[in-house]
Amino acid sequence: MVNRVPVYNLYMGCSVPANYPNYEAAMMKVAEALGMEFEYMPDVACCGSPNLRAIDYFGWLVVNGRTLAIAEKNGHDILTPCNGCFGSLKDVQHHLKHDSEDRARVNKELRKHDLEFKGTIKVRHLVEAIYTDIGPDEIRRKITKPLDGVGIAIHYGCHLLRPADVTEFKPEMLEELVRATGAKVVEYPLWKQCCGATILPVNEPLAIRLARDKIRSMKEAGAEYATVVCPACGNQLDLQQLGLKESYGEVYDLPVLLYPQILALALGIGEDAVGLRMNRVAADSILGHLKG
Amino acid sequence: MAESKQTSGKPMTLVDPIDMSLLDAKFRDDIKSMPDGEELSACFACSTCTAACPIANQWTYKPHQLIRMILLGMREEVLSGKEIWECLTCFQCQERCPQKVRITDIFFDCKNLAAESGKVPEKVLAIAKELIDKGQLYVVTSDWEREDLGLEAAVPGLSTDGIRAILKETRTGRLVKGGE
Repeated sequence: MVNRVPVYNLYMGCSVPANYPNYEAAMMKVAEALGMEFEYMPDVACCGSPNLRAIDYFGWLVVNGRTLAIAEKNGHDILTPCNGCFGSLKDVQHHLKHDSEDRARVNKELRKHDLEFKGTIKVRHLVEAIYTDIGPDEIRRKITKPLDGVGIAIHYGCHLLRPADVTEFKPEMLEELVRATGAKVVEYPLWKQCCGATILPVNEPLAIRLARDKIRSMKEAGAEYATVVCPACGNQLDLQQLGLKESYGEVYDLPVLLYPQILALALGIGEDAVGLRMNRVAADSILGHLKG
Repeated sequence: MAESKQTSGKPMTLVDPIDMSLLDAKFRDDIKSMPDGEELSACFACSTCTAACPIANQWTYKPHQLIRMILLGMREEVLSGKEIWECLTCFQCQERCPQKVRITDIFFDCKNLAAESGKVPEKVLAIAKELIDKGQLYVVTSDWEREDLGLEAAVPGLSTDGIRAILKETRTGRLVKGGE
């Protein structure tokens, strides 16, 4: 087999670059260390989020069909670090492949800009690509500062897992990737539950209660850290945690790291390069769990 | 049971009686014709969806009732209620439905029908306006943070012209114009 560096069309979406540059920096460092080439896509912006799908299904199809068509031009798979973008792109790809009528309607719009959706490339989430194209064994070989078995709870995020026939993601992928860093995966009862992010605009107290229930479930199961792979979930579990003291009189003090931050640290990359100081609940104690 | 003590007045019911004259049989056909409505009639009201829903206890109408209401033609109650907008879109109901009814997807279809008649919660409409005006939901403001991390200040390749041009011509554009 030719040892070829896999190249990806990098679709950042809007939330990671604006709110989580630490996520972006960490994933770029990880890519460099693992030999993955991320090329920022030209002429794209936001996926519209589930909110766009809710109010304007056709507009959502065209916006994301356009992004997919731009990626198809160079033939590389499209990769995103955001569950929201992943859900949108993956769902639109699935729908346009199965519904020839809507594909024709979308392509009629895209042809005005010399684009066509053909469905020739794959939509990949960052962690799925790391799992499938690099793999836990290769990661273990490259790790120089493994974690000492500290307990980490995984929050996958709904749009990474479901609907399973569309997302094609298996929770074991991220579980194995976390274990590859030397950490222990802490199982907790509410592992499948939503972080609440989607309903922030319509029912904020309920959204916050969902995040709180989730954090509480992790903490009660003995997790010392939590990891997420989505900016919206990160916002709910990390940033909103600070407000729980006021709204619930509860302090959890559960640091939440983006998965590439954990992986980067285990690969020997420094904490400043992955923006560890930007995490809202202080997360620097994780440095004490690195061996080597 | 506490209910059995009641001896006079209106009989206890779990839900108010349905006024048959207000049912709109076309509602279910509308949903069935939408992208995810094919399996709608397969629902046998087992309420597994409601058991899977993390917030059903907050709702007047539970997920399995909403599906039943669509089948019955209770258009107004479904499309004007808060439930469809509070759906987390976590897909837990859909994942567990033994009849393969795409419940979460159908609630998305319901929101589209509500939006078509202009019924969109204020803050969701504000999101639509952001997409038309700025072409994205979040805009980079702290570019020094990006530079500190070795990233380019502006996101490479970012262009909002495409999305804005598309959405001006679709329902998003009409909703925003109508709301002004």
